Amino acid sequence: MHREIRDHIEDVLRGGDTLQAAREHLAQCDECRSEVLGMQEQMELIRELRAPEDFAADLRPNFYARVMERIEAEGPISIWNLFIESAFGRRIAVASLALALLIGVYVVTSERSAEDAAIALQSPQLSTEQIIVAGEDAPAREITRVDQSQTDQSSEDAVLANLVTYREQ
Amino acid sequence: MDASITTLPFPEVVGEGTRARTRVDHKTSEEAALVRRVQAQDEMAFREVVERYQSKVFSIIFGILRNRNDAEDIAQQVFAKVYFSIKNFDFRSSLLTWIYKITVNECYDYLRKKRVRKLVYESDFSQEDAQRMEASDPAVDTSVPADTRLAQRDLILKLLSKVSAEERSLILLKEVEGHSVQELAGMTGLNENTIKVKLFRTRQKLLRAAGRLTRTS
Repeated sequence: MHREIRDHIEDVLRGGDTLQAAREHLAQCDECRSEVLGMQEQMELIRELRAPEDFAADLRPNFYARVMERIEAEGPISIWNLFIESAFGRRIAVASLALALLIGVYVVTSERSAEDAAIALQSPQLSTEQIIVAGEDAPAREITRVDQSQTDQSSEDAVLANLVTYREQ
Repeated sequence: MDASITTLPFPEVVGEGTRARTRVDHKTSEEAALVRRVQAQDEMAFREVVERYQSKVFSIIFGILRNRNDAEDIAQQVFAKVYFSIKNFDFRSSLLTWIYKITVNECYDYLRKKRVRKLVYESDFSQEDAQRMEASDPAVDTSVPADTRLAQRDLILKLLSKVSAEERSLILLKEVEGHSVQELAGMTGLNENTIKVKLFRTRQKLLRAAGRLTRTS
C-alpha cells in the first residue's frame, strides 16, 4: 500500500472526510484500491461480532455470588495448576512417571541378579562351573550346556544298566 | 503486497498537543481508587467491579461465541482471573481495556479447547438461536442466509486467531465497540500514532491470513 493511503487508512476506511490526495490516489491505484476494499470487507465481518443490544437483559440474577463461589473453589493459582491443568504439564507428568518406572525396574532386576550371584557363592552343592554361571553370562551358558549333556549321558547309561540287569534276572 | 512496506514507520502525524490531549492518567481516576481497594482485598470493591462490568463482559463473550450456555461460565472465569490478577494491574490502561483483553483471551482459550472451531457454531448455535438473534438485533442483515453469516463469523474468528492477543483486542475495540483512534489512545495509554500503526499492521496481517486461507482451501 502506498504512503498516501497508509498514512490516512483509518479515515479512508471510515469513509468520512478523506483527504483529496488520498481520494485521487485511490482512483488511479489498483493495488491500493483492492487492499482498501479487502480491509473494508474484513471490517464489516469483524462488526458481525457485535452482540445484540438487549443481550445483557438475559443475565441470571446473583451472578456475583456465583463468581465468588468459583473463586473459592479455584483458590489462588499455583505453579502446580500448570502441571495439572495444561496438556503439556500432563505429558511431562506421564513421561516422568514412565521414566521413574523404568529406573525402578532396572534397579530391582540388577539387585536381584546380584543377590543370585551371592547365593550361588554361598551354596556348597553347586560346582565351580555353576558359580561362574551365576556371575558371568556368556561363558556360563556354554558351561551349563556342557554340564547338561554330561548329566543326560550318565542318566541314559543308568537306565540301560537297569534294563540289562532286569533281563539277566 | 510488499512485506517490507509493513515495517516502515508511520510519519509523525500526531503532534505533542494531540498526544497530551489524548493521554489519560489512569492512576488518579475514580476507577483507579476502586482498583486500589480491590488490590487491598476489599470485597465490596470487587463486587462493584463485577456489577459495573458484568453486562459488558457478557456481551463481548456472546458477540464472539454466540453461545448463551457457555457465556456465563466464561464470564465467571473472566472475573475469577480479574480477582486473582488485579494485583498486577499497573494502571497503564483503563480497567475496562484490561478486562476486555482478558475476556477476549478467555473466548479464544475456549475456542482452542474446543479444537473444532469450524463446528462450534454448527453444534452449539441452533437455528432457534439464529432466529432469536435476528429478531432481537435490528443490526443483523436478514437478507444474508443464517448459514452464510455463521460461515463468515467462523472465518473472521479464524483470521483473528492469527494475530496477537493485543492486536486482536485493539481491532475489536475499534470495530466492534466502535471506539475512535483518539479514544483508544486514551484507553490504552498509547499515543494515537502508535494506535494507527498497530491497527494498520493488524489489518494487513488479517488480509494476508485471508489470502493464505483462500489459497489453501
